[in-house]
Amino acid sequence: MIVEMMIALSVGAGLFGIGLYGALSQTNLVMIIMGVELILAAALVNLVAFWRYLHPDEPAGQMFVLIVMAVMAVEMAVGFAIAIARFRVRGSVEMEEARELKG
Amino acid sequence: MTVQMIFLAFFGGAAVWFGVVVFRTHSMVRSALALLFSQTAIGAMFLVMQAEFLGVLQIMMMATEMSVMAIFMVMFMMDPGGMGKMDMTHQKRLSLWAGGIGLLAALLLVWLPDWGPVALSVPGAHEQAADLGRELLGRSMFIFQSAGLTILTAMVAATMVAIVPNAEQSK
Repeated sequence: MIVEMMIALSVGAGLFGIGLYGALSQTNLVMIIMGVELILAAALVNLVAFWRYLHPDEPAGQMFVLIVMAVMAVEMAVGFAIAIARFRVRGSVEMEEARELKG
Repeated sequence: MTVQMIFLAFFGGAAVWFGVVVFRTHSMVRSALALLFSQTAIGAMFLVMQAEFLGVLQIMMMATEMSVMAIFMVMFMMDPGGMGKMDMTHQKRLSLWAGGIGLLAALLLVWLPDWGPVALSVPGAHEQAADLGRELLGRSMFIFQSAGLTILTAMVAATMVAIVPNAEQSK
């Protein structure tokens, strides 16, 4: 059983690494959102694995998964709203051209 | 090697592979579809780990989310089909290092600790759903309601950001 848990957690680690690469390397806002989605998906895999293999009698583990899913939806909605606003003003969602947003 | 292990490794491998494809293909629509497949494979992993409710929820939610994402891709990308082979990346070396170090650190955190005894059985699907319902409307109600309020706030904020600029801005 511990091997199954290690497989699930390693998949989570892999998704985290890929998501981090994507969020840092992409210039398009929508692609950056995809990277963040992968990072959050890694968190989901880890939470379910911890619930299943360490505390299956504790429903709070599943509740955390629902909260992370809500965060994913919120992140996407706000990200796309910013993309729409940016596209309307500048005609592009390339983040290389968004240097004026820097504080 | 158990059946559960084989399926977990298969769907886990698929999730990671499609995650890599997201950033390797030039076509942005393909990227969105690869992310959809990756998230669906994660949902299948949940099903293998006997979290039926979460697995089905993940697949349904991500199918909708990624379809919306594909529409946005076509709307906003200069080259959504990837025919022009545009390079839309920057600081590649830094990103590869950061991703690689993040991956290694996460793997070390997974493999080094002693996780203790592992549970062999889980409650049935009906019992899980009932327990989750009691948890959400009992002990964790405040957190659950906070999540609802956060979604409502995000909906209002997203609408306000996305609506047509006012007269002063459009001058």
